[in-house]
Amino acid sequence: MAYVATRGGEKAIDQAERLFRQDLGTIDAARVASIQQSMPYLVDRVMGEASLYSEELAALALAQTGGELSEAVLVLRAWRTTQPRLAVAAPVRQDDLLTQRRISAAFKDIPGGQILGPTLDYSHRLLATDVLEGKPYTPPAVEAAATPAPARQPSLADWQRQQGLVAPATEPTIAPDDIPDLTREPLLFPASRAHRLQSLARAETGGVLALGYAAMRGYGNAHPTVNELRLAEAEVVVRHPNGTPFSAGRVRVSQAEVTSKEKGGYLELGFAATFGWNEVKVIAAATLDLNSAEAPVGSPVHEEFYLYHTEPVEASGFCIHFKLPHYVTFQSVLDAMRDAKAKAASAQPAPEAATERQTEPAE
Amino acid sequence: MFNEANGGNGQDRPGHGDALSLLARARPERLKALAEGLLDGLGEITVIANRTGLVMVPMRDTVENVDFHLGEVLVSEAHIADATGRIGYGMITGRDLERAMAMAVVDLALAAEPNADAIQGFIETERMHLAELDAERMRRVEATRVEMETF
Repeated sequence: MAYVATRGGEKAIDQAERLFRQDLGTIDAARVASIQQSMPYLVDRVMGEASLYSEELAALALAQTGGELSEAVLVLRAWRTTQPRLAVAAPVRQDDLLTQRRISAAFKDIPGGQILGPTLDYSHRLLATDVLEGKPYTPPAVEAAATPAPARQPSLADWQRQQGLVAPATEPTIAPDDIPDLTREPLLFPASRAHRLQSLARAETGGVLALGYAAMRGYGNAHPTVNELRLAEAEVVVRHPNGTPFSAGRVRVSQAEVTSKEKGGYLELGFAATFGWNEVKVIAAATLDLNSAEAPVGSPVHEEFYLYHTEPVEASGFCIHFKLPHYVTFQSVLDAMRDAKAKAASAQPAPEAATERQTEPAE
Repeated sequence: MFNEANGGNGQDRPGHGDALSLLARARPERLKALAEGLLDGLGEITVIANRTGLVMVPMRDTVENVDFHLGEVLVSEAHIADATGRIGYGMITGRDLERAMAMAVVDLALAAEPNADAIQGFIETERMHLAELDAERMRRVEATRVEMETF
């Protein structure tokens, strides 16, 4: 079977796109700026899934797709391909992160302490309907501390290694230019850890959540506890032509480590990170990473299953392609169905005919 | 005309990386105004590159210490040279070619005269401004420090 090109409908197609865009109205810089300013977490989600960090372009993508997330991610991924890669930055290390939220559900007293940062975790989820009655909601100001929090916090996993709780890890020797890169090579299985973590970093939030949640509910082999969760900013460290490293700016990142149980004398850990502040995604993704080691092939927590099915552009693209013309495919189904019916009908006499024969007066 | 191998500037200068990092985060309008004022003193300038592009950002996994790619960041880059071969370079996150060029112009002026008062004064002002912004934010963050108790 093959797809077939269809002809016709050009005018309708043109008008359909116009209808979509006309419904959204004029898109100007003010609208883009408003989205960027008022919906930072949505912008973060789109940047993470698009694997392209630009708050301005993510806001533009949301504006021109009306917030249709799969379309917004697709248009950003497509735009990315028009740009040259100028450099590979220095690897971001956890203890260099400018950390604004850092919590652990596994260890109460962690070096550096726990900082809730910006969160709705312990708030009442009440819709501020007064706003719709003309009463603007102005949030109460934070009562700032006298001294600032340290910008950088030590790595909890490193501290746990020093305590003998987590397996030792060797320093990587790979040069940044040689790190496996999914944007330039295919995802093959078993995947390298670099491919797995890159794929999870750009995975679709809802897909990762669904599969991670399935693992948490019991369809996996490890129930997670958050070892450390961070929302932070990372410096993008590049090099001047004379070799001097410097930061070209900061990007928001999320990191999660989850742990489950002891294995071989050490705590097992799962890890995930993404662009933007998106805790649900990194906790769910780290849970999938944690579950991968002993996952049966074909189960939702096996890496081949979850990496293939959480790639946002491939997943949404495959799903929505089913609404495009499949007339040849479907015609063949109809033909086969009619043929089978015809054969079945000819194989046995119709009851009505038999009855008629019985009532036929004998000659 | 210029030596790409060492950027045309010879050995790296003390504090150069720190200055570049501050220029990359400096307030855009002030940076552009500074660059505008420096341009006349730089003579003929060759633009080697002024473009947008991507920088891939790797991250180190904390579990197995594996480096992996987090994703790409949109940046603007400017690379210029003066008649003597000195290099000026700017790279900033985001889409603002003028700002990247302004950074490159200031970097070129720094290469010519590392202790120029106007530039050093600008860098110090921006350093204090950015430090105050960070401190203000982190004082609010510190207010959310929590001491958990178990019963």
